[in-house]
Amino acid sequence: MKNPTPLRRVLRGLAVVVASTALLAACAGSAAPAASGTGTGEPVEGGDLTFLIQGYDGGWVSSKSSISSYEGNLWGEITDKLVYADEAGELSPWIAESWEELNGATEFVLNLKEGVTFSDGSPLDAAAVVANLDLWAKGNPDLGIPKVGLFPGSNYDRAEATDSSTVHVYFSSPALGFIPTLGYHGTILLSPETLALPLEEQADLTNQIGSGPFTVKSWEQGDSYVLQKRADYEWGPEALGHTGPAYLDTITYKVIKDTAVRTSTVVSGQADVAFNIEPQEIESLKAQGFGVATPRYLGFTDGFQVNTSIFPTNDVAVRQAIQSGIDRQEILDTVYTEDWTAATSFLQGNVPETGDYSDLLAYDPEASEQLLDDAGWTVGADGYRVKDGQTLEFTLSPNPYVPSTQAEDELIAQQLKTIGIKVNLKVVDVSGYAAIQADKPPLFQTSRSFVDVGTVAGVLTSQNGGEDWWKLGTSDEKLNELSTGIATASDRESRAVLADDLQQYVLEQGYSIPTVQLVQRLYLTNPKLQGVSFNGLAYANFYTAWFSE
Amino acid sequence: MTGRYGRYALLRAAQAVIVILLAYVLTFLVISVLPGDPITNTLRDPQNGLSEDEIQQIVAHYGLDKQAIIQLFLSLGRFVTGDLGFSLQSNLPVAQLLGDSLPSTLALAGTALLLAVVFAVVIAYGAQYLPGRVAPGLLRSVPSLFLSVPNFVIGLVLIELFAFRLHAFTIIDPDSAVATFFAALTLAIPVSAPLAEILIANLDHESRQEYVLVARSRGLTKTRLFARHLVKPSMLPAVAMVALIVGELLGGAVITETIFGRDGIGTLVQKAVTSQDVPVLQAVVSLAAVVFVVVNLAADLVSPLLDPRLQPDRAAARTEPGVVVPA
Amino acid sequence: MTANLALLRPTGIPRAVRRAATGVPPTVLLAALVLVGVLLWSVAPGVFTSFDPVTGNTAEKLLAPSAAHWFGTDYLGRDLFARVVYGTASSVTSALVAVLIGLVLGSAIGLASGFLRGWVDTVLGRVVDVLLAIPGFLLAVVIVSSLGFQTINAAIATGVSAIAVFARLMRAETLRARGSVFVEASYLQGGNRLHALLRHVLPNAYRSVVALAVLQFGTSILVIASLAFLGYGDPPPASDWGLLVASGKAYATAPWLVYAPALVIVATVLSVNRISNWMRKAK
Repeated sequence: MKNPTPLRRVLRGLAVVVASTALLAACAGSAAPAASGTGTGEPVEGGDLTFLIQGYDGGWVSSKSSISSYEGNLWGEITDKLVYADEAGELSPWIAESWEELNGATEFVLNLKEGVTFSDGSPLDAAAVVANLDLWAKGNPDLGIPKVGLFPGSNYDRAEATDSSTVHVYFSSPALGFIPTLGYHGTILLSPETLALPLEEQADLTNQIGSGPFTVKSWEQGDSYVLQKRADYEWGPEALGHTGPAYLDTITYKVIKDTAVRTSTVVSGQADVAFNIEPQEIESLKAQGFGVATPRYLGFTDGFQVNTSIFPTNDVAVRQAIQSGIDRQEILDTVYTEDWTAATSFLQGNVPETGDYSDLLAYDPEASEQLLDDAGWTVGADGYRVKDGQTLEFTLSPNPYVPSTQAEDELIAQQLKTIGIKVNLKVVDVSGYAAIQADKPPLFQTSRSFVDVGTVAGVLTSQNGGEDWWKLGTSDEKLNELSTGIATASDRESRAVLADDLQQYVLEQGYSIPTVQLVQRLYLTNPKLQGVSFNGLAYANFYTAWFSE
Repeated sequence: MTGRYGRYALLRAAQAVIVILLAYVLTFLVISVLPGDPITNTLRDPQNGLSEDEIQQIVAHYGLDKQAIIQLFLSLGRFVTGDLGFSLQSNLPVAQLLGDSLPSTLALAGTALLLAVVFAVVIAYGAQYLPGRVAPGLLRSVPSLFLSVPNFVIGLVLIELFAFRLHAFTIIDPDSAVATFFAALTLAIPVSAPLAEILIANLDHESRQEYVLVARSRGLTKTRLFARHLVKPSMLPAVAMVALIVGELLGGAVITETIFGRDGIGTLVQKAVTSQDVPVLQAVVSLAAVVFVVVNLAADLVSPLLDPRLQPDRAAARTEPGVVVPA
Repeated sequence: MTANLALLRPTGIPRAVRRAATGVPPTVLLAALVLVGVLLWSVAPGVFTSFDPVTGNTAEKLLAPSAAHWFGTDYLGRDLFARVVYGTASSVTSALVAVLIGLVLGSAIGLASGFLRGWVDTVLGRVVDVLLAIPGFLLAVVIVSSLGFQTINAAIATGVSAIAVFARLMRAETLRARGSVFVEASYLQGGNRLHALLRHVLPNAYRSVVALAVLQFGTSILVIASLAFLGYGDPPPASDWGLLVASGKAYATAPWLVYAPALVIVATVLSVNRISNWMRKAK
């Protein structure tokens, strides 16, 4: 036990607890040890880390349009990437020691580190990289495996191994997003043998052979996953200041669905890391000496994507009214802590191209009401607006991947009620949420991380097999133009101009309704855990982590 | 007696089979009242990555392209031959999912049953024989209290106290002996209440019976009396009740397993409900009915042998709650 | 905790309230007071609190219980006492609906079984057997998942799972009365027979049925709270008691979010059970 307590105190505590039924107060009396977290002192070898996470329901086929926040945590420990992207989006060498951009960003040469092997002993050479690139760009239709969603696949031509450690990649038009995307958490390097397996066998995590600092030791689907360190690993990203084997012996991912239980289990010292805790608990946890990391990924902010093809968000006035009818500051003050900041665009603030459109996102309920009045929405007896006999209402489902979205959505429902919009809530878990996203209700919460702004084109419209988040298809000429322009720009300056236009346009049209800068991955850590770093996708690197005495 | 008992046993067994089949039909009807079509909805979820051909194959397997009544008979036919179908969520055979979940739930329910019986006997004994008026009076109100606290509140309190504060067990390992004990405790508390009540009532009744008075005049100690004369006859209605209680344990397992993070039948149900996994729901409910009916049948067949006062003809005429009465 | 447990109550469910109001124990009075209070909450919540249960003052979030906020405030600054009071209607009224469904349908089945005997009894008897064979809570979960996650559906589900208990009781009462009635009314025609039977059955049966109904009321509150706890009732911002506990448990530093609604549930059900017990013993 961590805080040895005399039996009498325990009993008295018990009596107090029973009497006052202070059921869930966490470790009230324990003195706060000095705060720690980032590496101080010499790393210590050994140790077993227990990581509590909501669930693993997504399966283990590596290449799919998006990788869930949960699976992404585990993938990051058993695989490597060609490029390392740090928290600021800075790129540095990893498996690719260096790279060149040729012919106006239509060709690239990757020079690979030598001597890297997959955990089954086979070499991670140029041929293996080509196999991975082909899959990311095109998927494998024969096996029913889709391409990696944000990979620039539409203009990808081919990749060739010019020798065992050099890969030459060809695109049909400029692909500025290519190199940054190699640091994305979906572009993980797996053994060619793994990639050739039939779908069912790829779903078996044991068959996923990577080159990462940990390998899969044992697992029970939906329950626990044990990784152990690879003793011969020596190709970690230089940016982390450590390239040898991991310090920790094992990492155990354990599924605990309940947020309060995950938190309390770490607080009581029975586990080391809890993923996604309740933001409003952070302050008290920090006061008790626990580390709480709120890394922000490069990507889209928290907020809503709008289905423009159905009632009531097919009305631009409604979309705009919602845009200015949400009080983002109140959300920050109420649901989140000072670790969060308001969105200034629908892209995260740490993306270099993100502009400040705060004036478009300012809270202005009068303007919202004016918009709705002008569009013919009249306030009915129950306080909600009506037009042509239809009440202005829609249903929101809080995103189960993001902490606190239920409280956030409840608050938004209250805010929109004051301008006469009725918001119903439907609470679902991760498996139910998949169906909601497939359904695309009027407003749905979805986000995506990316490393390069050029890749956003992949979700805006239906061009080139895009994900068409807003259900516009190719109907919005201006958006088509901007989207194509961004995907195929040949230099960063002209692209930045387009990105600026795009953000302005999307926010004005109310296609995307951002709320706050997204923290999708929160880590609560034991005070003894040192040396944890975070990459640009906001995943923790436990490769460099160690336990102090 | 054997001839008459044999006929009785046969009749009861036949009725048990009918009840199981009807329970399956009832569940099928309840689930097919569903607005919308959970099976094809789930199949078409792009996350499942099924091709149109595969969807058609599964639709054909479940006979979803046919009329409801035909679907019912197809489904019933598969059930009778032991084919429980495939989970829509994980695509695994339902029988395998049940098999994987069953041991955990059996450990939980078994421990809970044991605890419930122990509590009930302790409460009943104390209520009957503790000296004075205060202690027995308080004990008599314990079942009522036990019946008033929601299962989930008991679970939350036990976890907070014993896992997070006293570190007696950890939620990370919910199948450990100690964790199982506390989960079982959560389940046992509400279940022990009616058991204790009926024991108390029976003890009150039996202790007024003459043969007890006679025995007492012979100078037997209270405890030996309790053990020798009272428990056995008092246990008889309790045996019949065990069947009902087994059902309650299965139902209560949904909440208990969810709270304690155990992978059992209860969490299987909980997940199946959120993902509208119809074959799993259908199978679990049918399994529960089978367990109930079989335990009940056993109780009915054993009771007449335990106590000669309950001859088959009398047993058959009983209207005790919980006992399936032959018509 | 679920409907079927009521079956296990001893004494074949009470002859009832014969010596009614003589010498009511103080605990029963207290229980009655609690219940009256709770029923008033559900009828006129606005009388008991001036706070809005849905919209709170976000600046006052997660405050501990105080004179201003008896049960503290929640994560959106809403007064928890107001939420509990306004949640009473769906938590308690839905339990009444559940009891009513069980009572009406169950009694009808029991009466028909006992009166008509023969094949009707056989068929209805099997239906009741089937309802008994499926654990009450499991049946409720399946029904509510089939009808959709709403408190009213949770009430219907709970009611359906209680039908068997009432049917059993009513059949037994009908059979008991039947013998004597048919002697008395043997010269009467069918319709009159039914009339005579009802005249004998109902006055006798209603006492035990009422006692069972009170008991079922308590278990229904628990079942509906459990369904709400699992998220099978109305979604937020509704404030069913079970839902309040479920959403409150995420906030470890604000334990009142769990224990206040939990204590209200316990106090209510305990009161119901106290009264039910007293009714059974007051023969």
